[in-house]
Amino acid sequence: MLDRVTDSLERYMDLLSARQKIVASNIANADTPGFKTKDLNFQSEFASALSGSQPQASEVAGLPVKNDGNNVSLDREARLLAENALRFNLATSLIKEQIRMVKEAIQEGKSS
Amino acid sequence: MSLFSVLSVSASGMAAQRTRAELLVENIANSETTRTAEGGPYRRKDAIFSSDSVSSAFSSELDAQLNGSVTGVKVAGISVDNSEPERRYMPGHPDADADGYVAMPRVNPAEDMVDLMGASRSYQANVSAMSAVKDMIQHSIDLLR
Repeated sequence: MLDRVTDSLERYMDLLSARQKIVASNIANADTPGFKTKDLNFQSEFASALSGSQPQASEVAGLPVKNDGNNVSLDREARLLAENALRFNLATSLIKEQIRMVKEAIQEGKSS
Repeated sequence: MSLFSVLSVSASGMAAQRTRAELLVENIANSETTRTAEGGPYRRKDAIFSSDSVSSAFSSELDAQLNGSVTGVKVAGISVDNSEPERRYMPGHPDADADGYVAMPRVNPAEDMVDLMGASRSYQANVSAMSAVKDMIQHSIDLLR
């Protein structure tokens, strides 16, 4: 939209919302028998999101499985939930700052 | 991919947990019920959860195709406990048989109370997820200010 950094931030926010959706679905299915925790590989997905492809969710290995075949760990999901929200805040603040700078440039141009 | 569809995922979790809590409360309330519409004592009920794809009211077919792997939860069915009722010796009871035994529901209130706590905590987890997503949406909107 404004420059390359803003474009990357936009993709970053897209990816964070995709991940937040997966985390919300893991939490919703915390009591579903046989449900397996899903997640994105954030780094590789971010690299491919910059080239414009859709994120792919995969199952998470190495989590303890409960008796009903479910392996959702609420602690893990709560951490990711908070982390995603904070990262999203950071990205929006950065974009806001970019917009503010563009606005200021426009204002300066008007006043002279 | 929209953040609004995440709200429907959390909402499906909240609805499922509420149904489970309703059934558990029904079990506790009916732990001494000896007469039901189907005849015999009350039988314990429990919700069966299964994952389910959710679509928000405005989501397009394309969106559903792209994000089909992300799922909410639904109550797939309600299981009714068909085990033999507990026989308790209460000769003065109107529903006692010839030997003085009454068929009572096989409900363990302690077990249901613990399950109820679990349902309530899972409900809270879904509420937290929803409020985190709500904050993210709010921050996106704030970009316009």
